[in-house]
Amino acid sequence: MLDKPASALRLRERLLDSERLMEETGCYDGITELTLRNQDPLKFETLHTKLRAYCVSAREMARRISASPGVREVGEMVVAIYTPEGDAIALSNGIMVHVHTMSRFIKWMIKNNYEENPKIREGDIFANNDAFIGTVQVPDVMDVVPIFHEGTLVGWAGAVCHELEAGGITPGGDVCLAQERFTEGLFVCAEKIGENDEIRRDYVIRCERNLRMPIYWVLDEKAKVASCIDMRESVQQLISEIGLDYWMKVSKEFIEEGRRAQLARTRQLTVPGIYRGHTFYGHVTAGKPGFQLLGDPDWLYNIPIEMEITTDGKITMDFEGTQPWGYHSMNCTPAGMDGGMFVTLTQHMNFEGLVNDGAWMATELKLPHGTWTNPDNEMVATATSWALLLPAYGVFQRLLSRGFVARGFVEEAFVGQVNSPMIEMGGESQYGTPFGMAHFECAAAGSGALAIADGLDTAYVGWNPESDMGNIEVWEQSMPMVYIGRSIVPNSGGAGKYRGGCSFVSTWLINKTSHLRLHTSEHSSRVFDNGGMCGGYPAPTCQKHRAVRNSNIHELAAKGEPLAHAPGIDPDVSDYEKNIGGDHVVVEGPYITAPHKSGDIFSHFYNGGGGYGDVLERDPIKTAWDVENGFLTRQAADQVFGIILKDDAEGYPVADIDATVKRRAEIRKQRLAKAIPVSDWIAGERGRVEKADFAPEVKKMYTSAIKLSSRFTKELSDFWNVDAKSIFMPGAKP
Amino acid sequence: MTSYSKEVLADLAAGQLPWPQTKRIMSAYKDDDRFFKMVAVHQDRVAWKDPILLPVSDHLFICQSGDERITRCECGHSFGDYRKNWKLKAAIIVRNTEEALREIYPNSDIPDPQWMEIREFICPQCGTMHEVEAAAPGYPIVHDFEPDLEGFYREWLGKPL
Repeated sequence: MLDKPASALRLRERLLDSERLMEETGCYDGITELTLRNQDPLKFETLHTKLRAYCVSAREMARRISASPGVREVGEMVVAIYTPEGDAIALSNGIMVHVHTMSRFIKWMIKNNYEENPKIREGDIFANNDAFIGTVQVPDVMDVVPIFHEGTLVGWAGAVCHELEAGGITPGGDVCLAQERFTEGLFVCAEKIGENDEIRRDYVIRCERNLRMPIYWVLDEKAKVASCIDMRESVQQLISEIGLDYWMKVSKEFIEEGRRAQLARTRQLTVPGIYRGHTFYGHVTAGKPGFQLLGDPDWLYNIPIEMEITTDGKITMDFEGTQPWGYHSMNCTPAGMDGGMFVTLTQHMNFEGLVNDGAWMATELKLPHGTWTNPDNEMVATATSWALLLPAYGVFQRLLSRGFVARGFVEEAFVGQVNSPMIEMGGESQYGTPFGMAHFECAAAGSGALAIADGLDTAYVGWNPESDMGNIEVWEQSMPMVYIGRSIVPNSGGAGKYRGGCSFVSTWLINKTSHLRLHTSEHSSRVFDNGGMCGGYPAPTCQKHRAVRNSNIHELAAKGEPLAHAPGIDPDVSDYEKNIGGDHVVVEGPYITAPHKSGDIFSHFYNGGGGYGDVLERDPIKTAWDVENGFLTRQAADQVFGIILKDDAEGYPVADIDATVKRRAEIRKQRLAKAIPVSDWIAGERGRVEKADFAPEVKKMYTSAIKLSSRFTKELSDFWNVDAKSIFMPGAKP
Repeated sequence: MTSYSKEVLADLAAGQLPWPQTKRIMSAYKDDDRFFKMVAVHQDRVAWKDPILLPVSDHLFICQSGDERITRCECGHSFGDYRKNWKLKAAIIVRNTEEALREIYPNSDIPDPQWMEIREFICPQCGTMHEVEAAAPGYPIVHDFEPDLEGFYREWLGKPL
């Protein structure tokens, strides 16, 4: 047993030895030959498939134990099997981002001498949701159990569920108001929460007394433990069939094979070289209740990414030039950044089911210390890391896609995942009880376009490849609001030859409550954060919230008057304002305000994806279909795409091809007349840069990036032929 | 080994292949002869004779033009040495007012032009929009892609440039 001091050192030493071997040989655990694979490839592949089946089956079983609609409906769960050192061998479908974050958690316990105290014994259950140990954000709670075979630790089984309520300063899981760690909610820091396969009662009591909706968290714990025990028993049975020696070797070979497969896949699908891109995030909180003035209330972050693919197939992503961490909830730890890389790779390069931690080992992230990607202060909040992670990894997808296009694999090119805001809520439920919840219909935003087709409408998010918005009826059981509308948002995909996938907007009537707190997170403002590619436009910026307090909707309904079920297509005056009486509210950025009550109306938009290719090449017939079905407005078809529509005998839009050809020729002519040489634009714009004639938030962004990065300073200076440091940091030493 | 005809790849690139067939290509093992076949598809599409060495965008190609390797638009316009940022030789339209942004986003909330502008990079000859950047005012133009052309041909394709 590993609770004896003599053996306690062995696992830690084994982990360090494994890392040393990787360093020395370049191969995982020093495995330079895939001996078992070469001896019997069929047996090798069969075993890996079995392990994957164990994971998928355990997850499906566990989802039935959960009470959370996030896990049951939307599938916010993943499970995986690990080596004793904590490297993922096989994983289920689901929120795969956490396969590698759990790996970090296991390694953290090993490196912190958990074998000695609190000891690692058969039947133990360990949990964690501390992002600096290994997760993305507080609601991502992970459980791992050790797998023993005749007294020897032979692996780990692990499971993660995203909790809908984390007990933070605001209800829900993605606590947008958290500005430091201490307001994010209930932390479980690599803690032994159970023994002998049983969760400790005192741990459950802590959860029950510190969460607004403990039933979700506690039943998810049981679901996770059940899945871990299920995987453990399957692995133990497998070892009794194939022998311990074979298991210990084959599990490592799987990972080395995964590493080699990733390198080979990169060499097969891409082109070596340097790829660059950027995105931005705007945060607007000035004057909003609850935010402490710990930093600037409004700020702009730049997220530049340089990706290098070397001829050996290694991918390196470098975030140099980005912004410092801040007193907000959007910071990310290296574990979260790893997770973002892992979930992107699993979807875009390793979709054959052989993916494991080997894929991650074939990549490298350069995360500048002190930035939001790698804070030098462990007190920072990471409750809504996804706000910056998602647009960043959307850029990664575009960079990879540039390689796919260059290599000829156009069917793999994808404009990328999107950042999309989500809703958190709490207060008094429709049953008169306290409650708290994150609404996970956000797991079905629009995707970026492909290089050969439009993006997916209301069907994709990067963080959950099984994207699903869940059923309205199930959500209505869980919150004191009823849907009065859930509609496609026209033009919400970025325009292009292939448009981005459209998003949707939900409208609710607050119902049977006198106190409903509604908050939104991941709500970028004032910028485009979901870009386009190859001439496609970015998706629209996050839309403002439209709400009606003290509405007269019940009176209108009693009279049989028409209601508004969506905000409509006039950005200046919503359909609510046109059709419903009451106190109308339009809020930019995160929605943080006084509680709502029955009779109020609230609407929330999700985001669409960026477009691909020149708008003037979009298919007019497809566009007519889009207009007929509410994905595009007629105005956009004409004004943006240059497509002239007329009505058929039944009033449906049809493309007027001749008129379209003429209109597009005009637009092309207008473009050429309006465009100026880039060199002229640079010469004209240089004066503005020299004067730093920018909004305060833009100036601050440059100053912060210059402070952190000499490379960014040089690039900015070289591009404009100025001394950027003296412009943005007057008085600073050159 | 998986392989597709040039005609199938031409339809795939043009977005004309029926979805079930496209889906099968997505799900199948990748075809190792794809690169040169797809280059041949592009070569058939362009009116000029310079051999294409690498596609870099929807209508931009690095090609061998005499002794030089240049970035060329599908229409034939040259953006110069492929190692330099082609955008610097393009024409540009910048949308940095509410009115200009509203033209592209007629029915949505729009960003604050003080925080963000849209830069459209256009071929000065044919007017094709090759790339759109959404950036803060003052942000340097991005050099999207610097391929390691020599390494790619020598080490991955096993062919001389």
